[in-house]
Amino acid sequence: MTVADLLQVSQYSLPQPEKEEALVEQLAALTEHHRRNCPEYDRLLRVLYPNRGPIGRLSDVPYLPVGLFKSHPLRSVPETEIFKTLQSSGTTGQQPSRIVLDRETAQRQTLALSRIMTHLLGPRRLPMLLIESPSLIQDRRQIGARAAGLLGMMNFGRDHVYALNDRMEIDLDAVRAFLARFGHQPFLMFGFTFVVWQHFLLSLAGRNVDLSNGTLIHSGGWKKLQEKAVGPEELRRRFLSETRLSRIYNFYGMVEQVGSVFLEGEDGYLYPPNFADVIVRHPVTFEELPPGQVGVLQVLSVLPTSYPGHSLLTEDLGVIHAVDNSSCGRHGKAFSAVGRLPRAELRGCSDVIASSVVA
Amino acid sequence: MDVEILVPEVRGAPLEEVVARLSAPHPPLVPFSEPVVDLCAGFSQAIFRDREASRYPELAALAFWMRRAELARLRADFEKMARTDTVTVPRGLVFHIPPGNVDTIFVYSWLLAALTGNRNVIRMSSRRAPQSDILLRLWRESLSHAAPEMAQSTMVVGYGHSDEATRALSLACDVRVVWGGDRTVSAIRAVPLAPHARELTFADRASLAAIHAGRYSELDEAGRAKLAERFFNDAYWFDQMACSSPRLVVWVGAPETAIPATGAFWDSLAACIRRKHFESPAAIHMRKLVFSCEAIVDLPVSSYRRDPEATVLQLESLASLPREHSGGGLFFTARVDYLKDLVPVLKRHHQTLTHFGFDAPELRDLAARFGGQAIDRMVPVGQALRFGRFWDGYDLLHEFCRFTYYESQVGERAPGDAAAPAPM
Repeated sequence: MTVADLLQVSQYSLPQPEKEEALVEQLAALTEHHRRNCPEYDRLLRVLYPNRGPIGRLSDVPYLPVGLFKSHPLRSVPETEIFKTLQSSGTTGQQPSRIVLDRETAQRQTLALSRIMTHLLGPRRLPMLLIESPSLIQDRRQIGARAAGLLGMMNFGRDHVYALNDRMEIDLDAVRAFLARFGHQPFLMFGFTFVVWQHFLLSLAGRNVDLSNGTLIHSGGWKKLQEKAVGPEELRRRFLSETRLSRIYNFYGMVEQVGSVFLEGEDGYLYPPNFADVIVRHPVTFEELPPGQVGVLQVLSVLPTSYPGHSLLTEDLGVIHAVDNSSCGRHGKAFSAVGRLPRAELRGCSDVIASSVVA
Repeated sequence: MDVEILVPEVRGAPLEEVVARLSAPHPPLVPFSEPVVDLCAGFSQAIFRDREASRYPELAALAFWMRRAELARLRADFEKMARTDTVTVPRGLVFHIPPGNVDTIFVYSWLLAALTGNRNVIRMSSRRAPQSDILLRLWRESLSHAAPEMAQSTMVVGYGHSDEATRALSLACDVRVVWGGDRTVSAIRAVPLAPHARELTFADRASLAAIHAGRYSELDEAGRAKLAERFFNDAYWFDQMACSSPRLVVWVGAPETAIPATGAFWDSLAACIRRKHFESPAAIHMRKLVFSCEAIVDLPVSSYRRDPEATVLQLESLASLPREHSGGGLFFTARVDYLKDLVPVLKRHHQTLTHFGFDAPELRDLAARFGGQAIDRMVPVGQALRFGRFWDGYDLLHEFCRFTYYESQVGERAPGDAAAPAPM
């Protein structure tokens, strides 16, 4: 199967063995492609994997840590081919990742995202309520990762209406007007998980707003909500009781592999599309872990040709629950992302002095 | 503005009052006088006895380093510095600025300054660890039991990022001691001192080990295991982030000896780590993997070896060494023919050379070749973290003193000149 085939066939339709066979072939070819076109990648492979044999299984595909792209924006295309450079939002004080895209990779990413979203939403664009403030994308020259994510998702809707004002407060008149016009038919909502909870759902509580025909897609991670002890179940429960909304889909994705997002199924698990996959590795030995064990997520995608990011070890923890055994009709691995690797604070240099005595 | 006094009492006070109290005339203190030694030994005992303090090994270590026997040894060292034509006296007021993230370092620089008879003011960071608060409490207790002239000899103050307070204390002091990263040191350096005052700075440093491949090869299994254990202590106690912990291991000798020795050494270290059941948090492993990839791209790394707790990157040449480090058990390794081959590659910021297999003449020769351009300390493998009066090129006992020169009678030093008329 070619990359085009993997994108074209109905998503989540390939049983894991068949999918792996296709992915192994494509990812092995991509590994060669990057080795030939990115000298740094070639060097990394020679030093990190000196006795590398042929790639026979998915877990044989060499991986790079995603953090490397913070200091080294590696690329496999000449500088003249760079179409744009993506930056991760990054937590405060951390350097963002920089991902180099050529036109071809960017287009493939757009197509890939659309294959995933149309699988869920159908081929027609739906009226769309944006759980955001319009000021987020006012200045299109300076676009952060959150704004880029919003713009990407806006392609899948029409008649866009912002649900929040510039102060991130709910614009109830706008929401009611949107629902009066479109609320009786299927419509789409998108926002970042924390914003959706904090600025949308909590403000709608008790206002008798009916979102029962809507589909909510949200992303951005649970970290801020975990601090408030809010998890996926609580989010679903509250939306259902406050707004009668039942179709809620979280997705997991990252700027380092735009386009290959992992969207939730109706069972609440994340599913890789045909053209991407995940492996869970032991956080210390980096050996592949079987389903049921929590470890570091490695993400694989056939999309990146302009930068060697087709196989990345993330700093996220996850667990595979089942393979080809889903209650919602999807094939492949069902998994969850369960948070970031906890940060470790090393002690400062001068601490040496304190230690001295014990010697 | 107000500052927070933390020792000898706890209360807020106007900055002017604090400065006035520090600058008021004080009866001079004599270096290693009984009251000051009693105060330090009492502080040490208080730490040993305290239930809360016993939970922190670094506090026990600190107390051990301040115990009476150790103070006697320092005193003997100090007395060896004496000359018949000088009287050693304290410098006066020492202003210590310890780094924010370190809990106990201020006690070490305080101790040497206090023993030599100085008065001290220490600026404590507001983001204090519990260890610091324990120390402050015990310090107050010890001072309240000390001789009356000692009670006012040490003050600990806290204030936010106030230039005003740093400025006032800098102008009032005779010595300023600054610990911390290069940026902290540079920022504080911009704050003027009194014209006569001086400054000691302890900036970012990096360290390495040098092993004689031939002499390592002669070690038996037990000898290798012992060396691995010592190396482990140097490197792993503070996640390899102590400035004297080795980040680079240089093998000195011909390739046919050095290559098998290197392999045996890392095997032996890996075995030591397994014996100790030492395990780093997962984030450290990720950090080491990212750092390794960066190093492979940027430096002449020829091989990568990973036991989970010890990552080893072989360098083909020492021409460019990284300034940054991941910590957590990641080592560069390289081979040179002779110890002196280190001279062109090490820089001013290289602090401690831990060594195995070299004798005193070889080390003295190396120090002379460095000529002050690198390396302030050479100690056997296993001693990297042992603090002492010689640190970062300073002799701290000496630095905290002034030397009053005297001649008791004309011509005492230059007989025959007695008849010469005095100038003026």
